Amino acid sequence: MATLRESYTAVVARNVDLVDVWATEPHECAWAGEALFFVRVLAAGGKKKQVVRAHVQVSPDGMHWADEGRTLSVPPRAGVSFVRVSHFGGWLRLAGKAPAGSKLRVMIYLVLKA
Amino acid sequence: MNVNAPAFTRDLLRATVGLSRFDPLDRLLYYTDFGDGHGGFTETIGNYEGTLDTILPGMDFRPPMLSNYTMWDTGTAGSMQGSYALKLATRPLAGSVTAATKRLTWRTLGKVRLECFFGIKSEATEMILTETDVRAFGILFDLQSGDRRLLPRLRYLNAEHGKLVGQWQIKTDHPKKHAIGGSGKTASISHYAPVGYTAIPGARQELCQNELPTKMNWHYLAATFDLAAMRFTEVRCNDCVYDPSGIAPFELPVWPNLRGLLNTIFFVETAVDKRAFLYLDSVCFSAAD
Repeated sequence: MATLRESYTAVVARNVDLVDVWATEPHECAWAGEALFFVRVLAAGGKKKQVVRAHVQVSPDGMHWADEGRTLSVPPRAGVSFVRVSHFGGWLRLAGKAPAGSKLRVMIYLVLKA
Repeated sequence: MNVNAPAFTRDLLRATVGLSRFDPLDRLLYYTDFGDGHGGFTETIGNYEGTLDTILPGMDFRPPMLSNYTMWDTGTAGSMQGSYALKLATRPLAGSVTAATKRLTWRTLGKVRLECFFGIKSEATEMILTETDVRAFGILFDLQSGDRRLLPRLRYLNAEHGKLVGQWQIKTDHPKKHAIGGSGKTASISHYAPVGYTAIPGARQELCQNELPTKMNWHYLAATFDLAAMRFTEVRCNDCVYDPSGIAPFELPVWPNLRGLLNTIFFVETAVDKRAFLYLDSVCFSAAD
């Protein structure tokens, strides 16, 4: 009998405002072979409506982080954006720096599959 | 009544790698060693209605994850049985709590037993043993019978104010209930607050914290609860056995739409501005009619 591939969706940010320098909490995922980060904008606030740029980050220990190279642009309006990642080792997080005056309220999902 | 598994079942369990470590009651309801998945444990959050803004402060927990226990100094340790364990992680903020839930309903109001092999550690951001970082961890049942509603909770208070405590406790004080939204169908209680606990008599226990912030040892825990008497009847942790039956867990009025509820929940709390972790190598939940 074939074994189904494990999959798991982690809500790594819920109803959170992306302001200033931000990063999601570290998530262990060495078991997974592929991942997507989804960013769903619930509301765009702040004085300036600007795109927020997010960076996928990897880590050998969950404490020290490096940019993986892939980025995600999140438009300042309700909707969903995503970025695919593979070959990421044992840890993932999404990080960024919101432009001054920008405030996006978001849900961020990490969708993992073995 | 002998509620332990009959002899032939016990022989089968003894012959099964993984299960032979446990002492379940007559009927296994679930068993997982997290070797091939998250085992049906999900992130827990406070109730809401209409908007997520209605979630009570302190009830916005983080998702559980599968960990192979990789440390910065020694690499991957794996779990007790295989490579992966379920990991609960707080935020790096003193007082932060995280919980993970598996949602069931009961079939009979008999005894249930929740067993696990667990480990606790804080994030290894310092090069000293930080054994007082984890404030507490524990288990609870979220349950409602035909006419009773309880959240019976067993907690190990590891440390407080920078000092080791090592006390097993039962929550006895009634947390405040908050109406959520306007429908009358939703309410929430901040029952993870670190108050309202009563010490189990004689239940002060030292755990193996090892010597480095990166070295963790697995421990055994079993809590037996009587769904008819609505009391914990026994707590076991490694070689220590405690009697919590004289302590009544706090009770609430019955809520709508919850008859049959029997959630099994694990939680961990941090004492400092550092992530606290509860690792579960395996969990076994069993029942006796």
